[in-house]
Amino acid sequence: MAQQKVEIDIEDAGGYQILRPSGDLDVYTVGSLRDALATLIEDKTPKVVVDLDGVPFMDSSGLGALMGGVRRMREAGGDLAIACTREQHLKLFTITGFGEGVSIAPTVDEAAKGFRD
Amino acid sequence: MVRLSLRQKIVGGFGLLIFLMLLLGWVTLLLFGSVRSVQGRVFDSAVPGVIAVDEIVRSYTAQSAAIRGFVINPNQRSLLAEYRTEVQASEAATERARELFTSDRERELLQDIEAEGESFQTLVDDRVVMLAESGERGLAFGALGSEGAAAIDQIQALGRGLRRIQAITLDRTESDLVARSNQAVITLLIVLIGVISSGVFLTLLIPRRLAQDLSRLVEAARAIGRGDFHQRIEIKSGDEVEELASRFEEMQAGLRRLQQLALQDRELQIAGSIQRNLLQRTMPESPGARLVPLQRQANLVGGDWYDIDVDGRTLTAVVGDASGKGIGAALMATVTLSALRAERSVGSGPRRVIARANEALLEATEPDSFTTLLYASIDLVSGEVHWLNMGHPSPFLIRSNRSGKGAGYFLEGPRNRALGWFEDPGLAETVIKLEPGDRLALYTDGFLEAKSPDGEIFGESRLAEAIISLAPLDSETIGQELVREVEGFAAGKLEDDLTMLIIEFEGSPATEVAQEKLTGEEPWHSRR
Repeated sequence: MAQQKVEIDIEDAGGYQILRPSGDLDVYTVGSLRDALATLIEDKTPKVVVDLDGVPFMDSSGLGALMGGVRRMREAGGDLAIACTREQHLKLFTITGFGEGVSIAPTVDEAAKGFRD
Repeated sequence: MVRLSLRQKIVGGFGLLIFLMLLLGWVTLLLFGSVRSVQGRVFDSAVPGVIAVDEIVRSYTAQSAAIRGFVINPNQRSLLAEYRTEVQASEAATERARELFTSDRERELLQDIEAEGESFQTLVDDRVVMLAESGERGLAFGALGSEGAAAIDQIQALGRGLRRIQAITLDRTESDLVARSNQAVITLLIVLIGVISSGVFLTLLIPRRLAQDLSRLVEAARAIGRGDFHQRIEIKSGDEVEELASRFEEMQAGLRRLQQLALQDRELQIAGSIQRNLLQRTMPESPGARLVPLQRQANLVGGDWYDIDVDGRTLTAVVGDASGKGIGAALMATVTLSALRAERSVGSGPRRVIARANEALLEATEPDSFTTLLYASIDLVSGEVHWLNMGHPSPFLIRSNRSGKGAGYFLEGPRNRALGWFEDPGLAETVIKLEPGDRLALYTDGFLEAKSPDGEIFGESRLAEAIISLAPLDSETIGQELVREVEGFAAGKLEDDLTMLIIEFEGSPATEVAQEKLTGEEPWHSRR
């Protein structure tokens, strides 16, 4: 299996970072997301909104990386919120219960409003 | 370090050799020229100088002798003629010497000789010849003996001085010649050594270095043959051989990766066999219900699992899915299964079992991992089913009506959260009642998340429609056909495990508890 890559754009939104992965988030690509999140923690900017608009497919590995990210960001004194309008991903958050306790909103701005202080 | 290709080295080496040989030729010619110039100085200047001095001294001495003879016998006119001839000879020799002598001292001495000569000749011409011819021989002798002899002595003394100078010039020229030839020999030796060493470098060193480097590569290739992919090839020749060596090292790294993968594959096989042993292979006796498991693993080890237990009239059926893939997921599946079984073996109820499994997963796994599962307890007599849905896809009820036409619903109920992430995942329970002939399908998200080459996912609608259309068939066939359909949808590239456990309830007729069809776009969803 060829290793696919997911492109991840990072934007500084002033006060928090926006992470925009584009491509599938699955077991083969999730390392990039994990690395990007780890870099944010290293850079002491652990507040991030992950925008899933450019992610057509996400499996349990991708979801796991996001949830691991939530845990780690919070431990580092920040938070991870999710901007998502894709039904498929929203369903995944609902089924697994991860939608509870994590700020998930249709837009980045709205998601950022739900950061835990 | 300057990087030179093999071609540049060879061309450069031979170029250097040719340059050195040309230099050798040039130096040889220069030296020859230099030796010839010294030679010229000796033969064209110093030796003729000595001859000229000798000739001057000799001619004046001869003049003196001839004029003496004439004074003794003035009748011998030939002696006077001889004197005249010698005067011309001395003049010619003086003229030659003037051309040859370049130093001031030489010229000074020559001028002194000329002056003395002139005074001698003046004496002879003006007085001695006249006195002799007039018969005054005594007076002529007197003049010759006093003034003439003194002039000739002076000329001879000056001639000796000039000869000494010539001798010194000759000596100096000789030592100069020796020094120059020594220098010539040394220069020739140096250039020759340069030529020989570059020749040796070209004929021995380049091929030897090349041969050494290549034999290192050969040794590394042999090591690969023996299965050793760690042989270091340190070639710093800066040419194509170094390039070859670095490509070779890349190949070694590739082989190491392959070896590692093979090792991992072996480990995966072992892990897979452990997992298969851990997973239920034979179904326990379950009077009143038939169990049809189906599993298609995408990899050697997987994160999907199921577990069955029968205790009296209670059948426990669990289908779980660890997030991720491979060994990590398999280990998580193992942790969950072990915790479930351990807790169940001490007689704990479903809620306690689930809570314990959550604790075990929280302790044992990273925050990126989680496990979803559906834990169902079925009363084999009444058909009552209690389940806890821990972040897992809803079970599907297959019901065939009397006409043989299939029907089915996703059974929704209160949801709890996935295990291994939340301290309190929630423990809400759903209760339904199965009718005889009902089939309850517990499955994993592999069915829902199968992806087509266009990136579309299989999803609930397709799964429900597929199951309903297969409902008239027996459970084994339903399972096989579903897998075939999902595989077809994914064009054979399934990346997740597919696991389904179909529980056929055969017990006494009973009515379903709290079943309600949902109308609208998704008629296969029930609502509680």
